[in-house]
Amino acid sequence: MTAVESPRAFIDGIAWWSSGLPDWAAAAAVIAGGAAPAIDPRTRPAPSLLPPAERRRAPDAVAVAIEVASRACAAAGVPPAALPGVFATAHGELAITDYLCDILLREPLHTSPTKFHNSVHNAPAGYWCIASGCHAPYTTVSAAGFSCATGLLEALTQVAADSAPVLYVAYDTEARGALATSVTSRGLLGAGLVLSPVQSARSIAEIGWRVRAGDASQLTVADSGISALAGENAMAPCLPLFEAVARRAGTVVMALTPSCLLELRLAATA
Amino acid sequence: MAAADRAAKPRCIPPLAITAYTATSALGAGLDAHRRAIRERRGGLRRNDFTSTPLDTWIGRVDGLESESLPAAHARWDCRNNLLASLTLRQDGFGDAVAAARGRYGASRIALLLGTSTGSIGATEEAYRSQLPDGRFPEALREPIMHMAHSLAEYTRRALGLEGIASTIATACSSSAKVFAQAERMIRAGVADAAVVGGVDTLCGSVLFGFNSLGLVAPDPCRPFDIARRGISIGEAGGFALIERVGDGPRLLGYGESSDAHHMSSPHPEGLGARLAIEDAFARSGLCAADIGYINLHGTASAKNDEVEAALIAELFPGSTHASSTKGWTGHALGAAGILEAVITLLALDEGLAPGMLNTTALDPACGPQMRIDNAPLGRRVALSQSFGFGGSNCVLAFGAERR
Amino acid sequence: MPSSQSPAERALAELIVAAVNLEDVRPEDVDPEAPLFGDGLGLDSIDALELALEVSKRYGVSLRADDEENRRIFASLRALSTHIESRRTS
Repeated sequence: MTAVESPRAFIDGIAWWSSGLPDWAAAAAVIAGGAAPAIDPRTRPAPSLLPPAERRRAPDAVAVAIEVASRACAAAGVPPAALPGVFATAHGELAITDYLCDILLREPLHTSPTKFHNSVHNAPAGYWCIASGCHAPYTTVSAAGFSCATGLLEALTQVAADSAPVLYVAYDTEARGALATSVTSRGLLGAGLVLSPVQSARSIAEIGWRVRAGDASQLTVADSGISALAGENAMAPCLPLFEAVARRAGTVVMALTPSCLLELRLAATA
Repeated sequence: MAAADRAAKPRCIPPLAITAYTATSALGAGLDAHRRAIRERRGGLRRNDFTSTPLDTWIGRVDGLESESLPAAHARWDCRNNLLASLTLRQDGFGDAVAAARGRYGASRIALLLGTSTGSIGATEEAYRSQLPDGRFPEALREPIMHMAHSLAEYTRRALGLEGIASTIATACSSSAKVFAQAERMIRAGVADAAVVGGVDTLCGSVLFGFNSLGLVAPDPCRPFDIARRGISIGEAGGFALIERVGDGPRLLGYGESSDAHHMSSPHPEGLGARLAIEDAFARSGLCAADIGYINLHGTASAKNDEVEAALIAELFPGSTHASSTKGWTGHALGAAGILEAVITLLALDEGLAPGMLNTTALDPACGPQMRIDNAPLGRRVALSQSFGFGGSNCVLAFGAERR
Repeated sequence: MPSSQSPAERALAELIVAAVNLEDVRPEDVDPEAPLFGDGLGLDSIDALELALEVSKRYGVSLRADDEENRRIFASLRALSTHIESRRTS
C-alpha cells in the first residue's frame, strides 16, 4: 500500500470534560504528572449554551458534547455558528439504549417521546446546532473501538478537502442496566478540538497525518495518569492523542480498522 | 475569518462515476424488483405484522429475511440488519464489482462508508428479551460490537474483503445520503481511490414504538403530500453504491449538506436548512433549478415535513421539474432512506421514467405544479434526492445520467 | 400573586414537573392560571407528548396528539386538571 501524505492541520482550540476532570487545564495537569482536582466524579456538565427546553431534556451525551464543543470554540476564538462539525461516539447515549430496550419488554406503548427523540446518535450534534444557531453541516461518525480515529480522520479530511476549519467532538457515556453486562464503558468523557487548515495566532499545535497499513500491535498507548481516571470510558482510545496535544509533541498511531492505521505527528507551532 | 470561509460558496467538484449500485427494500431484492414495482405502481407496504404488541400501522418489510443466514465464517455477525446487508450485497453483481475494484485499487484503498440509524439495535432488543437468570445476555448476543451502530460496517467490511477505512455515519434519516458527500471528500483529499457507500436499517421495536410515541406513525399506508396524510409508514431497506473517479455508470454531480438549528424532531418552519442544502448542492455541482428533471423528495407523509418541503419546492423549482416522494412504495427506511432513494433516483435517470406517488390522491394545496402523482417520462438527465433527518441534519444529492 | 392550587391541581403539577424535568420549578409554585406552553412554563410540542403519556399512565385519560381541543385542554394547569378530572377512570 502506498502511504498517502495529506495536508497538515492546526489545532486552534481544545476542550476536555471527563468524570472528575472538568476542563482541559485539569486534564493537562494530570497528563503532566500532577494530581486530579478533588471533584465528585458524579458531577455532570451543565452547558449554559443550551436553551432551557433543550437543557432540561439533555441526556449525558448531549451535555458533555455541548460543553466541550462550546469550550473548544471559545478557546479557538471562533463563533460556534461558523464551523461544520464532526461528532464521534462508539455508542451514542447508552442509558437511552437501555431504557428503550427495557420499556419495549414491559410497556412498548409507554415509550417516552422525549427519550426516543434523544436516542438518535446525532442528538448531541443536533442539540449543538440548535444551541449555537449553526447551519453548517455536521456529521456523526461511529466505528466501535475505532470511533475516535475514524471521526478525527473525517474531520481532517474535511479540513483538507474544503480548506476550512472544522469542530471535532468525541464523547461516550456510561453503560447502564442489562446492556452493561456486555458493553463496558464507565463515566462520561467528552473531548473537543477546533482544527484549521492554516496557522493562526491561536494555533497551539500542528498535526501532520497519514493513513497507512499496519496492525494494532503498533498502536500508541496512553502513558500518563489520565488512564486511571478516564481509561474505562469507551472513548479512551482518544487518550494518547490528547497526551500528545498536551505535550505539543509526539507521534500517535491510532487504529481505523484492525489493519489500517491513522498516524499523527504532533509538533508545537513556531 | 472562519465564518467568512464557511459563508463562501463551496467550489464545484469534479463528477464521480457510480460504477455499480443496488438496493433491497419491501419492493424486493435488487434493481429489477424496484424498476418493475415503480413502473407497475405496485407498493410494498403491508399491515404491521412485525411487533408482538399490536401497533396499528403499515410497514415496509423485506420478505424472506427470516430464512436468510450468514456464511459460517461470519456467523457471529448474525442479526436482522446484517442479514439484510448480506441479501443486498448479493444482488446485481455488486459483490463482484467490488471484488474487481479491489483488484484495481487494492483492498486498503477502497473506503467503506455506511450509514444507519439504529444498526443492529434489534439484536440488543433480542438480548433483553432473552436475558439469562443472572442478568447476562445469552452467549450469541454478548459481543459488544453487536450493540453498536458500527456492527453493519464491520460485517460488511469482512463480507467484501476490504481493509481500508470503515466508517458509520449515524445522522438519523440523512445517514446514508451523507456517505456520498463523505466519499467525494475522501477521494478528492486522496485518502481513498474509491468508496463503497450505502446503508442498511431494519425494522425493530424501539423505532416502531418510538415513532409511535411521537404521534408520527400513520394507521394507514403513508400518503406523501396528500391533504389527508396521517403520518409515516416505517420501512426497512439496504443499498450500496461503488464510487470511483472514472468508469461507466451514472455520475455523482454534487451534494449539499446543512443543519436546521431549529428543533430535534420538527423541521425548520420555512425549510431554511433544506434550502441551504439545495443551494450547497447547486454550488458543488454547478447546476441550477432549471436543470433538474426529477427530485426524489424526503416526503415522509408527516404533517410538518411535507408542508415545509412542498412550499420550498414550489418556490425554488420551475413547473417543468417533476417532484415526488416514493415512500408510498417503500415506507420510510430511516437510516437507509438516503441510499434507497438515491438508487431509485438513479433508476429514474436510467429508465427515463420519473416516479409519481403511491397512495396519494389529493395533493396538499401547499404543493406546486412540480408535485406529481402519476409516473411520467423523464426528459432531462439530472435529478436530485433529498434526505432530511431528526436533529435537523439535511443532505441533498445531485446525480446525472450515464452518457451513452 | 398566583391563585391557589386545588389538591388535584397540586398532584398534576407534581406530575408535570417530574415528567418534563422542569429545572428550578417547584410544583407548588405553578400558577394554575398561567399558560403551560410558550411564555408560561415554557413547554413545547415534545413536552405535550410526554405529558400526554404520563397523564394516560396516571389517570387513564388519553389525550391524542391530533385532538382539536388540545389548545384548550393544555391551556393551563387548571384547564388540564379540569379536563382530566372530568374524564378520569383511575
